[in-house]
Amino acid sequence: MSTEKTSILILDDEPIVSKRLKPSLEKKGYEVETFTRSADALKRVEERRFNIVVTDLKMEGVDGMQFLSEVKEKYPETEVIVITGFATMATAKESYNKGVFDFLAKPFKLGEISEVIAKAEAKIKRLKR
Amino acid sequence: MRNLLQQLGQFFMKKEQSSVPFKVLFADFKKSLELNNKILDIIGDANDKLSGDYIFDEHYIHSICGRLTDLLRELIVTINHLTSQKYPELFSSFHKIEEDLEVILQGKVLSQNVALTLPYSEISRDHIDAVGGKNCHIAEIGSHLGLEIPRGFAISTAAFRAFWKKGNIDEKVTQILEQWHAEEIGVTEASSQIQTLILKTPLPDELEKAILAATAKIVGKKKSTVPCFAVRSSALGEDGVSSFAGQYQSCLSIPPSEIPQAYKLVVASLYGEQAMEYRLKKDFRPEEIMMAVACQLMVPAKASGVMYSYDPLRPEAETIIINSAWGLGEPIVSGEVPTDHFVLERRAPHETVEMQIVRKDESMVLTGCGALNSEPVLDEKRTKPSLKARQLRELAETGLILERYFKAPQDVEFAVDQSDKIILLQSRQLQLHFERQPRACDLSGIDGTYQALMRGKGIAAMEGIASGPVWIQHAGRNLDDFPMGAILVARHASPQLAKVIHKAAGFITDIGSTTGHLATVAREFRVPALFNTEDGTKVLQEGSEITMDVECLTIYEGLVPELHHYSLQEEPIEEMYEYRLLRRVLRKIEPLNLIDPESDTFTPRNCRTYHDITRFIHEKAVETIIDISFYHAHHRDTQAGQLLWEYPLDLILIDVGGGIEGEHEQGIRAEQISSIPMQEMLRGMSWPGIWDMTPAKVDLNSFMSSLTRTVPTRNSRPEDVGRNLAIISSEYTNINFRLGYHFTVIDAYISENILDNHIYFRFSGGVTDTARRSRRLKLLGTILSHYDFLCELHGDTVVARLKRMDRKSMLKRLFLLGLLVAFTRQLDVKMINDTRIEQYFKEIQTIMEESNVN
Repeated sequence: MSTEKTSILILDDEPIVSKRLKPSLEKKGYEVETFTRSADALKRVEERRFNIVVTDLKMEGVDGMQFLSEVKEKYPETEVIVITGFATMATAKESYNKGVFDFLAKPFKLGEISEVIAKAEAKIKRLKR
Repeated sequence: MRNLLQQLGQFFMKKEQSSVPFKVLFADFKKSLELNNKILDIIGDANDKLSGDYIFDEHYIHSICGRLTDLLRELIVTINHLTSQKYPELFSSFHKIEEDLEVILQGKVLSQNVALTLPYSEISRDHIDAVGGKNCHIAEIGSHLGLEIPRGFAISTAAFRAFWKKGNIDEKVTQILEQWHAEEIGVTEASSQIQTLILKTPLPDELEKAILAATAKIVGKKKSTVPCFAVRSSALGEDGVSSFAGQYQSCLSIPPSEIPQAYKLVVASLYGEQAMEYRLKKDFRPEEIMMAVACQLMVPAKASGVMYSYDPLRPEAETIIINSAWGLGEPIVSGEVPTDHFVLERRAPHETVEMQIVRKDESMVLTGCGALNSEPVLDEKRTKPSLKARQLRELAETGLILERYFKAPQDVEFAVDQSDKIILLQSRQLQLHFERQPRACDLSGIDGTYQALMRGKGIAAMEGIASGPVWIQHAGRNLDDFPMGAILVARHASPQLAKVIHKAAGFITDIGSTTGHLATVAREFRVPALFNTEDGTKVLQEGSEITMDVECLTIYEGLVPELHHYSLQEEPIEEMYEYRLLRRVLRKIEPLNLIDPESDTFTPRNCRTYHDITRFIHEKAVETIIDISFYHAHHRDTQAGQLLWEYPLDLILIDVGGGIEGEHEQGIRAEQISSIPMQEMLRGMSWPGIWDMTPAKVDLNSFMSSLTRTVPTRNSRPEDVGRNLAIISSEYTNINFRLGYHFTVIDAYISENILDNHIYFRFSGGVTDTARRSRRLKLLGTILSHYDFLCELHGDTVVARLKRMDRKSMLKRLFLLGLLVAFTRQLDVKMINDTRIEQYFKEIQTIMEESNVN
């Protein structure tokens, strides 16, 4: 097993999401960076690669869909997890078409997102080998 | 379902005597039930979100409010349609709540909607923005934790606003501040101008009256001594991270008549030089600059002091620090007099590890109103410790209670009164200085250092971290013996465990629902709770120290200081804005005030929450259908009649097609019922064996009369008779029972077509004690789930659904519901302990097997 930590970027314009998720994931041994503005998050992904990106879809400024498209384009191997309060079949479908790993409708339980992240991590590790 | 409507349609086309066809009324009735169910489901789900186990955002809160508001509006339109506009007043109650919700959602409500003054007994955690941290915390300590506090009241930020409006203080202050910001005048000049302005402006009459009235109420009970007050600031943000400590004025020893003047002095200190500069530096917005004021009866203290629940400079030492001296606390807090210094272990029984007793020559005493004097201490007391060993221990225990409740280390001011009672004057968060700040990412390594006793099991009823010795609750063990700071481990999450909520560091149960009573209480008191661990009572050992981390569903052996220290640094989630907002909106939505339909207060005007409106409408919908179809017989076309049964169940049956056979002038006999689902229900309700299983002998008839009230004559007024209604057809039954204070709704359609088949069952509450009520719900949940119902338990309600099973299986389950309806009613008195749940479950299973053979 590699000792390197799995890195996660979280983007949601509602600060409570990051506030709640960050410590919870850090406790589980992940390296976590959080953003509430998509412009800042975009800038950050220009600078470095994250193993996993968790993003909301509907936000002010850059649309989450656009953000995830850019991430997938730049780093196809990064797994993207979409979390959204406005879940519709159409948005779910569109995100899967863009290669999103999984789709969670808000509100969700901490355990649910941890599980999805663990699965994404397992997939990344499997592909590395 | 379409079959049913067709049936209804055909039925009424034949007979057109009535103005509104029953088909239409029935459609309204059905619609009101569906809306009712949807509303209650959303409310239940929303409360669940407070456990801390969910990630939700403001959007979610807005969206549930929006959905509820839409559903409620539709529901009110529906009931008015059903009753020919009988309840237009519901709209005004509804609009009032809707408006309040709007304001709350904008984040504003509290300070605007509160009274000018609030007695401590009426202040709750969510008033913090209206009364300031100091008031709010001390009031919570008194009402929630049951600890001794001085009598007192808060002058709210609404009062501040009212004062500010008077004489345009608002505008003038802004002008002066602008001059200061533009450096036209210095801070000393600006401060002095503003303070003079404040002191010169008379209080609005209304406010002065309110203050004097509130004062009189506090004084009222204490006529014997001359009462005097301490009037202190309780500004917004004062207790939080921004520290204004010591910047505002406190007025001591104030007689009641002078409180309004003292109020102005305290408010004026909001514009002290230091405070003004501090706010400028921290970029405070104008709307954040507000002051609430605390007015407390002064305690003629024998001794006073300050306690830190952690050593702020050496938290790792796990000690409690107490400093105290004789007399009143003011010179102690400000460091003017030497104090005794005690260091105690945080771990019970809180041994004293260090004690320095100083010579105390002077003390401040209260000799009368306005007479606060420094006086020489009696010779024999000068070198004596100012606190007794017993008091030190009591303080330490109190400190930990406060810390557990506020989820942060505490800085506590206290007084010892003339009868040696400890009275808490103030409690606020204490900043700790760790050599290394605990960080979440450091915690990922603790799994290697500490052994986990359980992992990944259970559900979070309340998030948090707790450590303490295990105390296992088993049958016959007295909860009164539960030790302070222990972790309670029990088989079931029984409501009676809530009794130790003040003492428990945490709760762990083998079985339990996150929506039960104990979970709600754990959230209210912020005690970490992990339910459904399956075998916690077996794995964990009595007396051994454990640390529970609910979020990670992990229980560690021994103490894990890293986790504990981290949790002390973390902002408690329930203090986040979204949690506060959700709690605030739920207060306008969830509480049920209208309980008794017979009472005079059961009116649209008295509906104060969405739940009240929903409850009111359900009652009236059932009443209306009974009234129209049975008493007034507007619809001679409908076959309506009272059930003539060997048991006196006041049930009105309305047949909408093929549900009843033969003549029924004098009432309907059970054997005339040809509605298949209704037959099965009644078969269950009258199953003979069911009564024999009660431990005590119960006479069948007397039992059945307790089940329903018996007013058998058809001529009695509708309001005198029970509101039990069943609308039936050959394949359909819709039952609304109100038995005492319980409500049962059953909606079932059963045909040969599997796809159309459904059963909906809702059972709720009553006003019996919560322990028994919750056992009854647990029993229902267990049984219904066992028989394949999809079950949800919310508070005191069970909702169970079943769809798409073949006819035979559906009927079997309706029979079961019949058993349960009769049985659970009687269970109220019998559910004396948790073992009864499993016992009755088995007995129901036995009946189900027997009934199948027959």
